[in-house]
Amino acid sequence: MFRNNYDNDSVTFSPQGRIFQVEYAAEAVKQGSVVVGIASKTHAVLVAIKRNAEELSSYQKKLFQIDEHVGIAIAGLTSDARVLSNFMKQQCLGHRLTYSRNMPVRSLVDMIGSKAQINTQHYGKRPYGVGLLVAGVDDSGPHLFEFQPSGMTEEMVAFAIGARSQMARTYLERNLDKFKTSSREELIEHGLRALKESLVQDRELTVENTSIGVVGYVKGDKEGGEEKKKKVEPFQVFDGQDVQRYLELVADDKKDDKDGSGPQPATVADEGEQMEVDAY
Amino acid sequence: MDHRPQAWGRPRDDVYGAYDGSYLNNSGPRTVTQSPVVTGTSVIAIKFKDGIVMAADNLASYGSLARFTDVKRLRTFLGTTVIGFGGDVSDMQFLDRHLEELAVDESYEAEPTIDEDDQEAKKASQLNAGNIYRYLQKLMYQRRNSFDPLWNHILVAGFDSASKPLLGSVDLRGTSFTSPSLATGFGAALAQPIMRKYAATEEDAAKLTREQAVGVIKECMKVLFYRDARSLDRYSIAIVTKDGIELKEDEQLEKQSWAFAERIKGYGTQTV
Amino acid sequence: MTSIGTGYDLSNSIFSPDGRNFQVEYAMKAVENGGTSIGIRCKDGVVLAVEKIITSKLLKPGANKRIATVDRHLGVVSSGMLPDGRHFVDRARDEARSWRDNFKTPITTADLASRMGNYLQAHTLYQSVRPFGITAIVGGFDAQEESPVDGEVGNGPSCGAGGKNPDKKYGGPFLYMIEPSGLYWGYYGAATGKGRQAAKAELEKLDLTGEGITLEEAVKEAARIIYVAHDDSKDKEFELEMSWISGKDGPTKGLHQEVPKALREEAERLAKKSLDDSDDEEEEKKDGDKMEE
Repeated sequence: MFRNNYDNDSVTFSPQGRIFQVEYAAEAVKQGSVVVGIASKTHAVLVAIKRNAEELSSYQKKLFQIDEHVGIAIAGLTSDARVLSNFMKQQCLGHRLTYSRNMPVRSLVDMIGSKAQINTQHYGKRPYGVGLLVAGVDDSGPHLFEFQPSGMTEEMVAFAIGARSQMARTYLERNLDKFKTSSREELIEHGLRALKESLVQDRELTVENTSIGVVGYVKGDKEGGEEKKKKVEPFQVFDGQDVQRYLELVADDKKDDKDGSGPQPATVADEGEQMEVDAY
Repeated sequence: MDHRPQAWGRPRDDVYGAYDGSYLNNSGPRTVTQSPVVTGTSVIAIKFKDGIVMAADNLASYGSLARFTDVKRLRTFLGTTVIGFGGDVSDMQFLDRHLEELAVDESYEAEPTIDEDDQEAKKASQLNAGNIYRYLQKLMYQRRNSFDPLWNHILVAGFDSASKPLLGSVDLRGTSFTSPSLATGFGAALAQPIMRKYAATEEDAAKLTREQAVGVIKECMKVLFYRDARSLDRYSIAIVTKDGIELKEDEQLEKQSWAFAERIKGYGTQTV
Repeated sequence: MTSIGTGYDLSNSIFSPDGRNFQVEYAMKAVENGGTSIGIRCKDGVVLAVEKIITSKLLKPGANKRIATVDRHLGVVSSGMLPDGRHFVDRARDEARSWRDNFKTPITTADLASRMGNYLQAHTLYQSVRPFGITAIVGGFDAQEESPVDGEVGNGPSCGAGGKNPDKKYGGPFLYMIEPSGLYWGYYGAATGKGRQAAKAELEKLDLTGEGITLEEAVKEAARIIYVAHDDSKDKEFELEMSWISGKDGPTKGLHQEVPKALREEAERLAKKSLDDSDDEEEEKKDGDKMEE
């Protein structure tokens, strides 16, 4: 049997210039349940499907607050995500302490990018097996970033990662033009609709398995007639009964898809248990 | 007599006593800066309705010797913030280089990440006076807690995150506060009372015009020139507004002279 | 001789019997798959440009910059593995900073290229690391005039620094390209990435070694070359990103900056026009105006 000799570690290039270990790590991201993020001019939202390992167990959290102005959604190895999340929390706190301001989201994301890149260049290290969507606001507005195990970080208008996320991305691409001017509520609605696209047939969004995270700007109060600085609406996660009213927004099955692409056939087994993923 | 080669060329113990190598032992407490060496005197600043005026003379003294007369003690940061240094000049240079590094860091991020035409947002994402003020507080306090203070008293002037004028002071102990008018060194005793006459509160300061503020500062520089023995009539003045910084580094107090002093009994080298 | 199956290509820092380090060669393969980057050194400055392939419609337009500032007067662009490019930039910034710490003056382009060449070379020496999957182009403008030492507070001496030859020219625009092996050369025009062959051919047509071209001409040529090098049969759309560095008396005042939007758009318009014109010559019947933004 042909054995690929180039995929044993992350310090070996294949003859095509690829690093298989990094590509395999990217596969771990696809094993995690799907998360979606969208940014508008005023807000950035994250929505996620939570999984439970078994019927009677609780659901694995997917959204985490990093700092007042930043939150992340994770897909892949939860314990790797925790390492990155702790690091990001420390950086944000340190920045707030020394400069008394929100850490710019771009610099934060660049830092985990650099951290992850090191793991792809040194023997004995392995790439992180987790992908992140980072949503936050800073002095230059709301942002959404995608982070990959390779250390690649890119700013997106909207994105989805995790199992069967391609369907969600297709929805996002179709509605791309609407996001910029969307309101907070509309953004959440789009996120949930994108999420629904990625569901396996005869599963649906419930108060148990859905998480919503929002961060953004609220209209600043005017003081002395002068336009005041925009105020940050801190990153907040909604779970359980708090997501009920949002679920109702998308509960109607009369989809607003113009091109009427019906629900996709579900063939992929969502609960593939090859790897301990999104479980604790 | 000791003829061993290792003793060649050395002073004889029997004549001069054993060599005292005690200075080589580092058993005592580690000592760091105990006092400033080359120093700048007062920095003074006052708020007005559109910004802040700051001034400091161009003298660096070595003890009571007027050693350097062209030293610029008002430094700018990113074209939006002015930082005035009193105290040790070499520590000021250290801080200046440190702030330069921060400014270079900012140039990395000079890429607008949102709508290309939104220059306002780009500017908002750079470090402002509020951020620098906080940074210097942390830095000075941390140095004092490691018992190796930077021997300076610093004034920071610019605009904070809410685009309001900010004037703050940090000293070598990390003590910090803001006020409508501030002065370091002798200025705290000599200039502050004058400035408070015009801007006792933020409300008063918000009524001052730019011309009035500059006038007050010049008046204070004049008083300092006569009452502070480590001062000079050449000075730098900076005016910070939303439009940027006007910095003049070679100003001269007009028609001021110490010539009269010769006629004062007991002054200088008079013998009669 | 093929490298595969010999076992000499399975780890870094191993020579094959004919004296090659295959892992470094494979790293260069990673570079050859990346979007095209070019640099032009002209009379009064340096221009850097990169073809950013748009891999997803969901990417925020104009947000993900590929050209980085290393120090105020230095820019870097690279082709190949993007995270490695970030690592390169981080290291270059550290080098520039430590140079400033030591010497109280900005690092010259040549010194930075040397430091980074060493760094990349070191990554070919050990089995515990892999080479960089990038080729980087470093552009800079070293100050031509006497500039103050960092942290200088006085006027300094009234005459210039000693030991200088008044007839000699100091500083100016410089351009270097650093390969995964650590090898680097100075260039008048440098190109790397997918479209490097086409880009090199175009660069060679420019008069860069003799009289030289102006910065503004170089910006326009750089845009045109990226458009020529782009293979639109293979790749989808792309974004053009350009930066430039002039001397103190030029448009960027000695700083590395993004080319202003208006100038970039003008350069892109001309680039598209010249492509259309050359298309017309080749196939006269068809009007090639498929090109969109």
